[in-house]
Amino acid sequence: MSNRAFAAGMLGILSLALFLRVPRLGLRPMHHDEANQALKFGALLELGEYRYDRTDHHGPSLYYLSLPFAWAAGAAGLEDLNEAALRRVPVAFSLALLLLLALIGKELGRPAVLGAALLWAVSPAVVYYSRFYIQESLFLFFVLGTMIWGWRYFSRPTLAGAAVCGLSAGMTFATKETCVIVFAALLGAALLVRLGYRGIRPEFGSELRMTGMHLGVFIGSAGAVAVALYSSFFRHLPGVADSVRSYFTYLERAGEPSWHAHPWFYYLKLLAFSRYGRGPVWSEALVLGLALVGIVSAFRPGRRERITSFVRFVLFYTLISTFIFSLISYKTPWNLLPFYLGVVILAGAGAAYLIERAPRPGGKAVVAVLLAAGVFHLAWQSQRSNVHYYADPRNPYVYSHTSTDFMRMVRRIQDLASLHPRGRDLLIKVVADPYSTWPLPWYLRSFSHVGYWQEAAEAGAFAGVPLVVASPEQLARLSPELGDDYQIEYYGLRPEVLVALCIEDSLWEAFLKTRKGTLPKVPP
Amino acid sequence: MRKQSLLSVLALLILILNAQGWNADAGDVLQEKEELKLELPKPMFVGTPRNIRSPNLERITGKKRGPFYVPAGTILLSAGKPVKASDMEPIIGEVEFLTDGEKSGEDGYYVEFGPGIQWVQIDLGESIPLHAILIWHFHSQARVYRDVIVQVSTDPDFISGVTTVFNNDHDNSAGLGVGKDKEYIETNEGRLIDPHGISARYIRLYSQGNTSNDMNHYVEVEVFGTPVK
Repeated sequence: MSNRAFAAGMLGILSLALFLRVPRLGLRPMHHDEANQALKFGALLELGEYRYDRTDHHGPSLYYLSLPFAWAAGAAGLEDLNEAALRRVPVAFSLALLLLLALIGKELGRPAVLGAALLWAVSPAVVYYSRFYIQESLFLFFVLGTMIWGWRYFSRPTLAGAAVCGLSAGMTFATKETCVIVFAALLGAALLVRLGYRGIRPEFGSELRMTGMHLGVFIGSAGAVAVALYSSFFRHLPGVADSVRSYFTYLERAGEPSWHAHPWFYYLKLLAFSRYGRGPVWSEALVLGLALVGIVSAFRPGRRERITSFVRFVLFYTLISTFIFSLISYKTPWNLLPFYLGVVILAGAGAAYLIERAPRPGGKAVVAVLLAAGVFHLAWQSQRSNVHYYADPRNPYVYSHTSTDFMRMVRRIQDLASLHPRGRDLLIKVVADPYSTWPLPWYLRSFSHVGYWQEAAEAGAFAGVPLVVASPEQLARLSPELGDDYQIEYYGLRPEVLVALCIEDSLWEAFLKTRKGTLPKVPP
Repeated sequence: MRKQSLLSVLALLILILNAQGWNADAGDVLQEKEELKLELPKPMFVGTPRNIRSPNLERITGKKRGPFYVPAGTILLSAGKPVKASDMEPIIGEVEFLTDGEKSGEDGYYVEFGPGIQWVQIDLGESIPLHAILIWHFHSQARVYRDVIVQVSTDPDFISGVTTVFNNDHDNSAGLGVGKDKEYIETNEGRLIDPHGISARYIRLYSQGNTSNDMNHYVEVEVFGTPVK
């Protein structure tokens, strides 16, 4: 394939990826986790404060790498940012991953790279989570970087290769704790490939002699970025030790997954076929099927060894990581992405192999048209996932997501504040457990007097408090305090999770005056 | 005794002087007013919440409804009675589900109408004194239906002789007037409304979406009264 054709293909794929990722980034309400990340980033942006939390929120890279995006947007604080501005960070890394894929033309073959890039661009799972302000997009970018430079070092060890691979591995470590699974899978895959070639081509991999110098450079470059980030650039050194201690927390969580426990086949089923109630069918079976063809292609005789060995490396990585992620009963759908990255690369190899093997000229055209139809179906599902079912529980990738109804409460609070003499300085008391609170702190970031309590008894007096947000459980305890002086409205936070907005009577009366003249909407 | 009285007067004088002094101080403070800085607790960070996709998990309100007394001879009137709706082609189910006696919260037992305000209307066949109306919108999930308005009438078009027996449209978003009744969370007990013995033939129920989605649902509606002999 000519350089021009490859570049044109990549450009087209990037445009398609942009089209599926960028529009309406602010449409979906903030997920609980996104709002958590956003508030933590807010502290870094506004106060320069970041402390690694070994019990939650993963690594520091998301926050530090969000800074240039915020500065470019001219934001001095969280108030200057909106959902779309934050979500541009993962979108950018998702697009950058496509550029990384373009670098493995030699290892995978250019047609296969185009196939993998196209599938990555349109995959519903990938597109949906690339629009999430969480670590996944960044993590995948660094995982692919480690995979590429790890493989290159494995194939031809150089000092520069060790340094780049170390940097990439360090950033992977500084992004998410599940990196240990990825590292284990990559190392295991490299060893299996080498084992497979022993006796066939003794010279392959025989150069792999990781000298002390190389090892030092690898550890040095990985350690440098990891220590810098985890220590908040040397202002909080315990963060480095915590980055290791966190594995005890995550190990414990994996063993006690509580409500995130799912069977071993959860991820595979999610990708192959999902349907909830009377909702639409979702499937990425095409990618799984093409990946199987890609696996077959890696073991067919007469193929270029450089390509088959890389495909086998990706295959072993995928098998090991899929096995480990499936074995851990703590599962959230975005955790399928690290192994799905391998599946997509294999699928790209499979698509290229199918076209290559199809008889000329009609056969190739038929295969290409069928694949194009499949890609269109995936892209259509992605669009449906992000435009129509973006917060609908019938979308398999919607997980513990904030209901669109919650946004009604946010708008109500904003409307009420505009009527209050203190405006956004009015006092709001939120009395609910954290699971019934988030993502409210994100949406109330421009309100100056908001307090959060988990128990009604701790929240002090309520006389004259204009707005109270409470979980139904806490509302029952607050009732004697609130008396008959409040109008109460219920809103859906997530399925089965309601929150009550209590509006002090005088504010409510002021609001009702604005509703005068409402025309009847009753259908005949 | 005299000594005690003198001490009391002295104490009173000190108190008055102190109070005056305090008032003078308070006046100074008032001149230099500043905003009271509230130290409000910050939200606590926690991990991913529970993902709930399947229905029928837990109830939020646990209290059972107390006994409800009706005149002797009150019977269920609505069973099998004809139902009309603002949309006679529901998205899911049939309008007849409202009066078929099936109150299960599972799929296949509820009728779903589209977004916006929708109404359903039961025709009892004759005007009868009503003593209880029991409504189940959708009880397999904790949710609140908005703008629930229940009217009874002797006029099928609800133009004349209309009495509103329940209205929780507190912000008049349905445009039928501000209601004073409270919103409530759906449970398998249904919502019991007291029509106070009003005689009516038609019962019309409005709603406008719910906290989970914009749709309108009914599992069952039961109307109780004392038939005229």
